[in-house]
Order: sequence, then structure tokens, then C-alpha cells
Amino acid sequence: MYPEIFLTATICVLLVYGAFAPKMSTISHKRKTQSIINNNLFFNISWLVIFSLTIALFLLPAVNGSSVTIFNNLLIVDDLTTIVKGIILISSIATLFISMAYVKKESINAFEFTLLLLLAILGLFCLVSSNDLISLYLAIELQSLCLYVVAAFKRDSEHSVEAGLKYFVLGALSSGLLLFGSALIYAYTGTTNFDQLLLLNLSSNLDQAVTTSFHTGFLIGIVFLSFGLLFKLAAVPFHMWAPDVYEGSPTSVTAFFAIVPKIAILAVFTRLYFTVFYDIIYIHLQSQGSIVFLNFCAIGSMVVGAFGALKQHKIKRLLAYSAIGHMGYMLIGISTGTLEGLEALFIYIIIYIIMTIGTFSVVISLRKSKNISDLNGLNQANPLLAFSLAIILFSTAGIPPLAGFFSKLFLFFSAMSSSMYLLVIVGIFTSIVGCFYYLRLIKVAYFSQQLSLSDTRYLFKSIFVTKEISILLGIVFFWLILFIFYPSPLFVVAHKIALALCV
Amino acid sequence: MKEVYEMTVNSIFGESSTNIWSFQLTELYLLPIFGILLLLVIPGRKVDLIRQVALTTSLLTFVYSLFFWFTFNHLSTKFQFIESFTFSDMHITAGIDGISIFFVLLTTFLIPICILASWNSIQKYVKEYMICFLLLDVMLLAVFTILDLIMFYIFFESVLIPMFLIIGIWGSRTRKIRAAYQFFLYTLIGSLLMLVAILYIYFEFGTTDYQLLLNAYFSESQQLWLWLAFFVSFAVKVPMVPFHIWLPEAHVEAPTAGSVILAGILLKLGTYGLIRFSLPLFPIASAYYTPLVYTMSVVAVIYTSLTTLRQIDLKKIIAYSSVAHMGIVTIGLFTGNLQGIVGSVFIMLSHGLISSALFLCVGVLYDRYHTRIIKYYNGLAATMPLFAVIFVFFTLANLGFPGTSAFVGEFLTFAGALQNNTWVTFFSATGMILGAAYSLWLCNRVLFGDLAKGVYIDITRRECMVFVPLILLTLWLGIAPDPFLYTLHVSVSCLLN
Repeated sequence: MYPEIFLTATICVLLVYGAFAPKMSTISHKRKTQSIINNNLFFNISWLVIFSLTIALFLLPAVNGSSVTIFNNLLIVDDLTTIVKGIILISSIATLFISMAYVKKESINAFEFTLLLLLAILGLFCLVSSNDLISLYLAIELQSLCLYVVAAFKRDSEHSVEAGLKYFVLGALSSGLLLFGSALIYAYTGTTNFDQLLLLNLSSNLDQAVTTSFHTGFLIGIVFLSFGLLFKLAAVPFHMWAPDVYEGSPTSVTAFFAIVPKIAILAVFTRLYFTVFYDIIYIHLQSQGSIVFLNFCAIGSMVVGAFGALKQHKIKRLLAYSAIGHMGYMLIGISTGTLEGLEALFIYIIIYIIMTIGTFSVVISLRKSKNISDLNGLNQANPLLAFSLAIILFSTAGIPPLAGFFSKLFLFFSAMSSSMYLLVIVGIFTSIVGCFYYLRLIKVAYFSQQLSLSDTRYLFKSIFVTKEISILLGIVFFWLILFIFYPSPLFVVAHKIALALCV
Repeated sequence: MKEVYEMTVNSIFGESSTNIWSFQLTELYLLPIFGILLLLVIPGRKVDLIRQVALTTSLLTFVYSLFFWFTFNHLSTKFQFIESFTFSDMHITAGIDGISIFFVLLTTFLIPICILASWNSIQKYVKEYMICFLLLDVMLLAVFTILDLIMFYIFFESVLIPMFLIIGIWGSRTRKIRAAYQFFLYTLIGSLLMLVAILYIYFEFGTTDYQLLLNAYFSESQQLWLWLAFFVSFAVKVPMVPFHIWLPEAHVEAPTAGSVILAGILLKLGTYGLIRFSLPLFPIASAYYTPLVYTMSVVAVIYTSLTTLRQIDLKKIIAYSSVAHMGIVTIGLFTGNLQGIVGSVFIMLSHGLISSALFLCVGVLYDRYHTRIIKYYNGLAATMPLFAVIFVFFTLANLGFPGTSAFVGEFLTFAGALQNNTWVTFFSATGMILGAAYSLWLCNRVLFGDLAKGVYIDITRRECMVFVPLILLTLWLGIAPDPFLYTLHVSVSCLLN
């Protein structure tokens, strides 16, 4: 648990630093205005946070296949948690770079922003490690509360406040569902611990001692628990909040929403589905065909994600729908219930995270990035940026030989091998529809009418790529193109994660 | 495989031959890639240097691919120049047989021509343009040589990206966006079904290696479904009639060289896929669906020939005539006998040359007058005699004039089809008459009559250099097709067994 302890300590220290540093600097530079000081403080703290995240990366335990439970079985540390935490750390460092670029153009420069993100990361860490329904709930609340606040962080914008409020109300509802599910499970089994639930759910035990009443209440509990988590994942029919929150929040927060929390929630979701409730869900229920609701969520997300995005004019709403669609593909991996499905899921989410980092780095570099038409003439103003955007979007659309294609390939293959043909066919058709709107972005960036020279010059000025963003984009770009030549590290990672759950 | 190949080569040519002539497919792929890397470091304003580098690398690739043709063992039915890579944890083999060698040559031959043809007409983003073409070169070579279903699919699809950009960025009018979209989405919808089929095959047999799958046994119902999934994707690419809407759009809007690549090579991807995968892997289904293919092809031949008569856009005329010719190709492929299949592969090659040349002719006109509408052209023969000669030559070749390559292919195809189905032969032969009608009428309208325009420049030396190799090859294929036919005979008879 060193990373968590370290992060907690860092948050405390940085809070104190943030509270006292402005005073000290006002004394030393009286002539500077308050906003410049705030700005400097923001960057100081951001760099410190990035630095501490890097340290936390080194504090992670080694990946060696062992699994340890701590704090009275409340938390667990195994390969899954280690790798997922590593990914969270790396992706949040990328997000912080993105948000620093954002702050350079918009003046949201309160240093608490970064610290709230750090707190959310801590919550995600606990969430990944949770081995008990109580710690699961507490961790999910910790990260949600921080995210509610950052969603509403742009105080002078109505959209942002609206987004925060919407997210909060609906999030509270989902937390209620989650808590209700946990309570039901506790009521019918008398335990909240994952290990004990697992023992109780082993198929041999189920056959002997379980009565029907136990079953029904317990099942409803599982379903409610899943609903709570699916809400956080923004899967259909719990997706309503996503487009509004994505659109309303400051872009840096949207980037964080889109990039970081999903993998943590998926990790705990798969831990529930693939170890704790595996026998009851995939063996008992599948024989009765009751796993349908997960398939429904998958199909619904894919369809809504694809068709919902068609008519959008705002970039961030479009990205929200695309995120919903991608969540649908990932749910395919869960509903297969096989080792390959799990591996494919994690390959998918990692590639998805990388592509999303790329998309948001481009979006954040445009000064005006609200409407899709703002991308107009990007190719003339900054050809390199336009080309990276095109490659990232082609990859997101799943065009070979880019990385995004392989993520879909493995998922569809795992679904084929557990004979879920309907999911595959829906997935393929929605990915064609998806291509359409990704192509629309590329079209706007590339094929639009010739701009006059002054327009181009204006546009060129309005594009602002920081050094960090350009490095990030470069990494993403080459990774997506060259993935095909050396994909094995990712396979190994996904395999380790899957093994940690399935053994 | 490699050992077997070396043994056969050694037994024929003696011990030393393999040591001297060891050409590798990897090097063939790497040549254009090297060109791309070189282009990347050249600054974008040195336009002439960029053009020269692109032309040189593509020519080198062509010369290198010629060595494959020279050292190709024409008597062997096996795949040659076999190479294995470990790629994405999969074991991929690449090789050339008597069918794919011609497509490799056609690709490497047409790419320099495309680059030469767009020497002056492309003025913006020259560097990106050349990179797109060299990228297409690599991808197409990979499609034609790789013997693995998944890799075939990957390269088959990835061709879309540069082509989409070529149509979208360097196309002529605003309608190009619509065309690029249609091209992209049509092809994607078709080929994703093929992806499902490929995944199913991998799931059933545990491999996607072509040579291993040739020995696999597909049950009848499996064959019927898989064949359909493959067929939809290839039929969009060919294109067969209900799926052909994208083609005229894409052709009209693409720059000249883009049309050349589309007509010359991309259309052949579909028919190549049919002959490489559908026919040998699913023989029962191929026999079962033959009436369907015949019907679609006959409809394609007659309907598109009639449509051609009504077009007013020069490029659309050639695009629709391409659909008609590809209809004859698919008829030939499904005759199930040696003449038919050899003939249809031969038409593919000849069509790759002739339709490319016709598009280049239109490009020559477009460069001078900046319109493609026929009624603005009249009496060009008076001011552009050389061009008129070339245009008439390729028009005659297009309608299958004896002595040109199209005649050989069409004769063989009809000979094959006649053994199978008289009516199909009859109807598709009607297409030939209609073909003569629209081709000659087009020639008549453009070249003869009163002179309507005032620009008096005949084709330049560079344009001549573009046309001369095409003319020579068309004549060679038409007058002495033996070297090509021998190679095809061996591979196709292997395919039929």
C-alpha cells in the first residue's frame, strides 16, 4: 500500500504548501497581480503532483503473481491492482499535462484543481484494491465526490455548474443503487467480503444449500450493484449524464473523465464478475439465459454511442457518445465470461486510453474547441496536428493497420469463440456507423474550403501546442502506428491481469 | 515450403542459381518504405526533388519486381519466394504464385506512371501526395503477396486510408467529399463482414494461414455462409452491380492518378480475392452460387454499358465501362474451366493497362481545358493529332480489338463461358457490342467534328513517356501473350485441381 500512503501524505503536504505559498510570494513580489501568482502556484503544484505520481509509480509492488489482502481483508494487492494502478498513474500524468495546457489558455488556475484530481486518483487506487463491498463503496464515493467538484470547477460558466449538478444528482442516485445492492447482498448472505462471497458462490455450494429465496434477493443485489457500476461507466441505459457532463465540464476535466476512471471501475467490475460472482453469473445464470442484461447494456451502448454521435455538433458531446460506444465494446469482453474476453477487454481499454489521450491533446491545443466546425482548416494551419488527429481518429474508428483495429479484433474474436454472434454483428455494424462520424471530423479538418491567408494566420495563432502536449502526441502517434510491429508487451500485460483474476 | 521450392529450383537450374538470384519480398516492401522515409526528411518546398525521389524509388521497385518475374519458376505450381515473418505473435508467410506475380508487376508498373502523370497537375501538398502513393505501393504489394487471411484483410482495409485522403484532399470539386465518404463506407461495410468470416475460420481451424487452410475441410453449410461473407466484401470492391454506386463517384472526383490506381489496381483487389480465396477455399459454395454471380455479372455488363451511353462526363464513361469489364471478369472466374479463369485474369491485367491509359487521356484533356464534360470537346484531332492517335488506340483496345490485350482475355473468357452456359455468353457478348457503341461514339464526339476550343498544345514529352509503355504492353499482351498465358496456365490448373 505504499503508493496510497504516499499519495495521501503528498495531498496533505501540498495542501499546506498551497495555502501558505501565495502569502510568501506576495511578500516577495508585491507588484505581481494575484492571477499571475495563482498561475505560478498552479504550475508549481502541477509539476509537484506529476513528480509525486512518478514516485508513486516506482513505489508500486512488483508484478509477481502473488496476492495479498490487508486491513482485515478490506483491500487486496495483486497483479491486477498493480498493473491497473500503473496505468492510472501514467494516464493521469498525461491528463495533467493536458490540463496544464488548458490552464494556459483558460484562466482556471486554482491549485485545488490538481489536488482534487490527486484525491480522485487516490480514490481510484482504493477502488481497484477493494476486496470488500464496504471499501468498494467508500472508494467509489471518494473519487466521485472529487469529480463532482472538478466538473463544476469553472464557476463562472453555467454549463460547468450545470454539469456538476447533473453529475452529482445522478451520481448520488447510482451510489444509492450500489449501496442498496450491497445491502441486499449483505442481507441474504451475511457477509460483505469478497473472499467469503466467493466461497459461498462456488457452484458446488450453490447446488447444495441454496434456497430459491436466497437466490432471488441475492440476485437482485448483484443486479443493483452492477447497475451502480454501469452508471459510473456510462453504459446504456445509464448514460444520460455523460454527454451533458462531458460538454459542460472544463475540457481538462472532460479529459480526466474520459481517460482515467474507466479502467479502475472496469477492474473492480471484472473482479466482481470474474471471481466473486463468477459461478453464479456465468454458470448458473447463463444456463437460464439471465445474463441478458449485460448483453443488452453492451448492444445498447454500441447503438446509442454510434447513432447518438451522428447528429452532434459539439466536439465534446461527440466524444462522449464515442466513449459510450466504446464502453459497449468493452462490455462485450465482460459478457463473454472467458479468459480471452477478459484479455481482450484490457487490451481494448489500454488502447482506448491511449487514443483518448491523443484526441484530447489535439482538442485542447485548439483555442476554440467547442464546435466541430472549429476544426475547419486545421490542415492548413498546422498540418502535423491535423495528421496526428487523422491517424488517431482512424485508429479509434478501427481501421487497420492501426492499433484501434486490433483492440476490436481481439474483442470480436473472443465473442466469436463464446458464440455471441449477435454481439459481434451489432458491434461490426455500429463500428461502421462510428466510422462515419470519425471521418466527419477528419473531413472538417482536411477537406474544408480553402481559407484565406489572414484566416489561416489567425487560426495558426489560435493553435497552441505546448511542449508537453507535443511530446504526448508524438508518443501516441507512433505507438498507434507501430503497435502492429511489436504488440507482445501489451498482450503480456493483459494476460497477467486476466490471470490474476481467473486463477 | 522454402526447402521444397529450393529443391525444385535446384533440380531445374542447378545448384548455383539460388545463390545468385536470391530476391526477397521483404526487400520489395522495404524499397518504397525507404522512399517514404527519404521523402519525410525532405522539406516540403523542394517540390522537384520530392517528385524525383518518389519517381526514382517507385521505378526501382518496379525494376526490382521485374527480377522476381525473371527468376520466377514458371513450371512450378507452388508458391515461390516464400518468406516467413513472425508478426504480432502470428506466423505469417508471404509468397508469389503464377497469379499474384502479375498483380505485383501491375502494381509496381502503374505506381511510377501515376507519379509521372501527376507531375504538374498536383501543386499543393506534393510531399504528402507522393507519400500516399508510395504507401499505396507497399500496401498493395503486401495484399497481393501475403498468404494469410488476417494480414490480407488488414492490408485490404488499410488501402482505404491513403485512397480516402487522395480523393478527399486532391480531388477536383466539392463533391469529392461525398465521393470519398461513399468509397470508404461502402468498402468498409463489405469488408467487415469478411472480418467476421475470417474470425470464424480462425476460431474453427485455429489458423488463418492460406496454405494450411487449403487443406482444411469446410462443411457445406459453412462454405455457403463464409462464401457469402467473403463475396460481399469482394463484390463491393469489384464492383458488381448493386454495389457499384461508389465507383463512378470516386472515379470522377479523384485526381487522375487516383483514378488510375482505382481502376488499374484497386478494382482488381476484389477479383483477386475471389480467385485467391473464394474459389479454392469454398469450391462447393462457388459452384452453388455460380448462377447468382452470372446473373449479377450479366446485369452489370448490359446495364452499365447502356448507362455509359447516357453519361456526359468523360471519367464517368470510363468508370462505367470498367464496371462492365469487371462483369466479364467475374463471369470468367466462375466458369470453372481453364480458359475462363485464365481469360479473366488476363482481362484484369489488360483492363489495368487500358482503363488506366484512358483515365490518363482524360487527365491530359483536363489539364488543358479543366473540364470533363463531353459537349465542350470537339474536333481535337485537328490540333492534337498525337493525342488523337493514342486515344483511338486505347478506345479500340477497350472494346476488345484483335491485336490488343483485351481481345485475348475476352476471347478466352467467352470460350470458357460457352462451355458452361450459352445464354450467359450470349448476353455478355452483347455487352461487347454496346461497348463498341459507346467507345466509338465517345471517340467520335471528342476527336472529330468542328474545332470548339482554342488551346493548341499536343501532348508533351512527359505525357508521351507515360503512354508509350502502356501502348507497348497492350500490344505485347495482345500479339504475343504466350509468356503470360503459360505462367497462368500452370497456376490456374493447380487451382482447379
